[in-house]
Amino acid sequence: MSAPSLTSYIVKRPWLKRWMTPLAQWYTDAAGYRRLGLKFDDLIPEESENVQKAIKRLPAKEAYDRVFRIRRAFQCSISHTLLPANEQTKPSEDVEYLSPIIREIEKEAKERVDLDNLVVRK
Amino acid sequence: MLSQSTLSRNAPRALSVGRRAMASAANPAFQYDVSDAAGVKVATRDVAGPTGTLALVAKAGSRYQPFPGFSDALEKFAFKSTLKRSALRITREVELLGGEISSTHSRENLVLRAKFLSNDLPYFTELLAEVASQTKYPDHELNEVVSKLLKFQQQAVYSNPENVAVDAAHGIAFHRGLGSPITPSETSPYEKYVSADALAEFAQDAYAKSNVSLVASGPNSADLSKWVGQFFKDLPTGSSSSQYKLQPTQATKYFGGEQRIPSKGGNAVVIAFPGSSAFGTAGYKAEASVLAALLGGESTIKWTPGFSLLSQATQGFSQLRVNTQNLAYSDAGLFTVTLSGQADQIGAASKNVVDALKKAAAGEVASEEIKKATALAKFRALESVQTLETGLEATGSGLVHGNKPYQIGEIAQALENVSEEQVKAAANSFLSGKATLVSVGDVFQLPYAEDLGLTV
Repeated sequence: MSAPSLTSYIVKRPWLKRWMTPLAQWYTDAAGYRRLGLKFDDLIPEESENVQKAIKRLPAKEAYDRVFRIRRAFQCSISHTLLPANEQTKPSEDVEYLSPIIREIEKEAKERVDLDNLVVRK
Repeated sequence: MLSQSTLSRNAPRALSVGRRAMASAANPAFQYDVSDAAGVKVATRDVAGPTGTLALVAKAGSRYQPFPGFSDALEKFAFKSTLKRSALRITREVELLGGEISSTHSRENLVLRAKFLSNDLPYFTELLAEVASQTKYPDHELNEVVSKLLKFQQQAVYSNPENVAVDAAHGIAFHRGLGSPITPSETSPYEKYVSADALAEFAQDAYAKSNVSLVASGPNSADLSKWVGQFFKDLPTGSSSSQYKLQPTQATKYFGGEQRIPSKGGNAVVIAFPGSSAFGTAGYKAEASVLAALLGGESTIKWTPGFSLLSQATQGFSQLRVNTQNLAYSDAGLFTVTLSGQADQIGAASKNVVDALKKAAAGEVASEEIKKATALAKFRALESVQTLETGLEATGSGLVHGNKPYQIGEIAQALENVSEEQVKAAANSFLSGKATLVSVGDVFQLPYAEDLGLTV
């Protein structure tokens, strides 16, 4: 989940952010997942304990929608088509729905490790 | 070996001890001082010692829950993640400090309890306040932890036929309110009511300032009120939602009746009558606890059946456990005789129960026995106040229900004043009124109320 990222470096510098935003938008759009009706969080590799746990913690409706989007994208991929424009994911819909939960779970895991390695000084 | 003469020399002394015990029972160390800190009622008992106990008693037991399972779930949510720290951190911190935290609920109360070394009083006061006011109630904790614990709790409770029978007896005796099951049964559809958001709203009301009391044994009362004043000022003032509020207190009415529950898990029969409510309430009848001690069934002394009528009557049954109790609540009580063991022996022994009651009602019990029963009832009442496990809840419950807190001297006095006539009258009223009979187990062999001569 945590690939090296410059995001926080850029976001902290408004001038750099202003500069990078159009570039980022162009890049995300060019990545093409939105044309298959996916959201960015659908692309997070599922094969990890934390992500599995996060998927289980999704509200029922979001979990259903996620499966629907993935199956629809799969179908598109098989038939070598793109979704009609009105069904493609709009940039406004492409919001984080899974990442916050993953971050929370990672925080829990980190806390556990920290507490397990705690040294008590009295 | 005691010689005959030693016995005869000591017997009168044993009888006269009662009066001397009264004087020492007024020992102020066992009385709770009631005060008010940050709008929360606090009862403290200064006991000098290296450890202390603090209990938060909320009037949110199964009697007051708006939907089934709410008290259980709230109990299991105690010491889970709060806005300030995670459940894991709470656990580890308590481990490091060397304390003990637990939560339980009864029909009337939800109790959060902390035991700790005296120095850690501020930490544990803060912890209890945090649990009451800042628990997060996230969905995933309900699904991953609380609902699983609840299932285990159900299995534990419902695998014991005695529990099933006593619970069902409450159900028939009091219907709703006090009669609602203490833990929802495994087959009941309680899941559809329990959600994290609903619990969060219920907690707002359950842990409201006016609905909780703090009972402490050990810590210095000045220290305690200082810390309570600091930490408990943020306690919620009550929930605005009408749906998940606590159920309003309705006067409990006794109904009575009969229920038969087939089960493979063992046999139990509960014969119940309207008993006495808790000490300090309007419905308190000291004679009920004397009669409970007189009927008894379980000996307090090893290797002897004891003096009680039922243990004498059931001496021949080796696979049987009998026990008589007056379960006291804030506005009602249930006098229960619980029999468990082999179905045929329960069947035979339950006739003995009714016979023993008839004997007591006819006044055929020697006054010696009633004296013994009074002494035992007194011992039990005083011991239950003195013991921390029961005493903290009883005191807190008295405070939140607006009754007077337990005062040891008065209980002893009330029990000593019970006359043989009163015991006889109590037994008579049981026989003439409507009884409650619950049979769990091999109902083919277990008796009907009709067979026992009880009216239901």
